This record gives sequence, structure tokens and C-alpha cells, in this order.
Amino acid sequence: DSTVGSSSDCKTCPCPTGATCAVVPKTKEVVCTNCPTGTTGKRCELCDDGFFGDPLGENGPVRACRACSCNNNIDPNAVGNCNRESGECLKCIYNTAGVFCDRCKEGFYGDARAANVADKCKPCSCSPYGTVDRKTTCSQVTGQCQCLPHVINRDCSACEPGFYNLQSGKGCERCNCNPIGSTN
Amino acid sequence: PRSDISPLTPGANLLFAQSGKIDHIPLDGNRMIKDESKTVLHVPGKVVIAVAFDCVEQMIYWSDITQPSISRVKLQGGETSVLITKDLGSPEGIAIDHISRNMYWTDSILDRIEVSRLDGSQRRVIFDSDLINPRPIVADPASGYLYWSDWSRDGPKIERSGLDGSDRTVLVQEGLGLPNALTFDPQSRQLCWADAGTRKVECVDPFSRFRRKLIEGIQYPFAIVSYGRNLYYTDWRREAVVAMDRHDGMEVEEFLPQRRSRTYGITVTYPQCPAGMNYCSRD
Repeated sequence: DSTVGSSSDCKTCPCPTGATCAVVPKTKEVVCTNCPTGTTGKRCELCDDGFFGDPLGENGPVRACRACSCNNNIDPNAVGNCNRESGECLKCIYNTAGVFCDRCKEGFYGDARAANVADKCKPCSCSPYGTVDRKTTCSQVTGQCQCLPHVINRDCSACEPGFYNLQSGKGCERCNCNPIGSTN
Repeated sequence: PRSDISPLTPGANLLFAQSGKIDHIPLDGNRMIKDESKTVLHVPGKVVIAVAFDCVEQMIYWSDITQPSISRVKLQGGETSVLITKDLGSPEGIAIDHISRNMYWTDSILDRIEVSRLDGSQRRVIFDSDLINPRPIVADPASGYLYWSDWSRDGPKIERSGLDGSDRTVLVQEGLGLPNALTFDPQSRQLCWADAGTRKVECVDPFSRFRRKLIEGIQYPFAIVSYGRNLYYTDWRREAVVAMDRHDGMEVEEFLPQRRSRTYGITVTYPQCPAGMNYCSRD
């Protein structure tokens, strides 16, 4: 408050070098303005949107702000792509999920870190008749759906040889053909 | 008086968001009074995306995506009230219907468009289908329309509906990239958008569907507003507010905030609502 007129009225900004500060009219709280490039917050302790780190080292060693790191599974046109402190990815795309968009979301399988979008996460597409409890989820790595007895294939879409009636929804039944009267 | 906001210059002002704050630039006709620009609202720690203005109560509305919320504050001074906090993912666009006293917003995580009274009450979802990355939304209260765009990489589009959600129609689909920014000018009835994918500014008459290109080769627009003879847009790459002539597309002026970081939502404040177009005043 420079209106009082004493030499101690103006105080040094509690901000990193180069930044200025201002007093919020309502709360009389001091906030830094013009924080060093890439940082923001009351004390320039936060990274700008799209970046993460701990520029003042408030929770451990100083970590300079760097761009959200999400295995190329975020869209640069989106806002709020990662948590500005932890870097946790918040807007995974291409059917990925996880803290760093590093795995496939439920109902999808493949390699979330693949370079090619087409090789990333594909839908499980489990056959509803052949799957336990008609589940639509599969192994996130192999894509294997959880098949009922005597049901085969990744997507549980067929019966083992010698079995039939996938449509029953209870697994496939043995054909019980007489070996003498059958070909093959 | 206790106040979150620093007083604005009388007359028209541009308001735009940058990390943790909203700044204003006074307008003198079609010029920006750059050396009088300053921060009107400090919200350190927040990431403000959308900024909108209600000319009746002279209030600004904004959205934050860090703890997703929509808030408002009186321009003349006063305290911030937080209006919406629950069931929000990524609120990135706000439209004000100053006549019917409603606000609309887009959410690009929940993939929907919602409406409520200006105090946040009587909230209702109006669209929750065929939305991937809805961002800007604008109202034309005089004619009763709502416009928004979706920058989905698989099918960007600009849409329109009635303010009650009726008659949803796709207005523009061809030749779009990332239509981040949208504005409606009621005088000329032009719906204009700035596209970070095609790097163009284009306008369409939503009624005749006549479309024209104003400029191409711009950098990375995020939000746009129409006022007087200019369009003003924020640009992520230039980290600036750019003024361009609405008629010939020529760049008129650039404002570079002291703080170097991306610029987000933009709106214009003015002392009085446009006169003679209040269809609800008949009731």
C-alpha cells in the first residue's frame, strides 16, 4: 500500500525473478503476474495448460514444466490434456486409458503405445452367444474373450470340432454322431 | 467494497482469458486501446476456457476446467458466484440468452449441451447425442437460435437448433478442420468461424446458407467475437488477440499480452443491450 507514505509500504513480490505481482482487490492477497514463460498460479508454482511439472519444487525436486506425455494418445487441439502437477493424462483418445494413456480402455485390446493408430486399440467384439455372462470385455493384450465350454476363437464365435449349438448361450454341445455312420 | 473484479473502462471492452486470469482491452470504436489493457479478474490456479457476457445484469460468465465449474461476477464489482460444479467434465463454451435469461454450455468430456437459468438453477441436458468435441456455442436470442460447432477429427460440423433444442440441423460440414471459434453477428446475420485446421475465417448466412471465405493462412484460432466492423480472435500460436475487418478479412491490429502464453475464450462487454429486439418483452 503506497498511499500510507512510509518507506516500508512497498514490499518485494514473493515471486520468481522477472515476475511482477498484484494485490487482489477483495482478499488483499498477493498474486504473481507475468510468471516465467510456461508457469502460472499464485506464486508461479503451476504449469500452463497442456504442461506438467513442479517448477518451484514444492513437492520434491524442481521439475521444469514439460508437455503432457501421453503416448501420443491425446489431441493437441484439446484443453486440459493432463494434470498440471502429476502429468496424469485426462483426455486419452483412440480408445486408450490409463495414467499415461498406456493401455486400452475396457472392451478394447491391442498395444496402446503402437506408433500406428490402426495398430492401437481394437474393439473386443466378443460373440455374445459364446461368452461367459455375455461379457463384452476381453484380455487387453491378446484380445481373448472369455469363452463358454467348448467354444473357441478369440471372439468366442465358434464351436470346437465335434461340437454344435453355439446359439444356446450355454456353450457348445457334443455332436454325438455315430462314428460308423459318419463321414470324416 | 469487497470485489473480485477490477473496474472496467466505461464503454465497450474486449475480455479474453489467459491462464489464471481474464484481461480486458478497452475499445475505442474499432481500435483497441492497448496501453489501457489490464487484468480484471485473477483466478490463479484455474484454467479459464470460455468467457461470456450478459448485457442485462452486466455480468461476465466463465468456465474453468481444473475443477470443472461455471462462475459469474458483476462487471461493476462484487463477488464471484460459482453456478455449476456437479456433473461437469470439460465446459469449453458458454452462450447467454439475455432475453430469456438462460445460459447454455458445451461439455467435451460428457459430450453434451446443457441449459440452465442464469443462476444455475433448472438445469437440463438438451443434446447428448452426436457430439464428440463440442466447443464454441453462441445464441441469437432475437431470432431464437442456438449455434455451436464440434471439432471432432472424424466429422467436424457447425450446427443450429432452436433455443429450446428443437429442429437440430447441421449447417456446415464441408471443408471444415478444427472449427474452434464461432460468433454470430445479429446486425448482418452472419455466423462466422475461425478454423485451426483449415486456417481460415469463414462466414455463412444461416438462413440462405450463403457462405464466404474472409481470410486464409491464419495461425491457430481458439475463440472469436464479432463487434462493430471487426472480428477479434484469440490465437494459440501467436499468443495474441487479433483484430480483423469483418468485410474484407484484412488484419487490422494485434494485441500481444505482456504474459506470453496461449489465449483462450474472448467476448465483448458493452454498457447496454442492443435495443428493439426483445421478442419476450411482448409476453
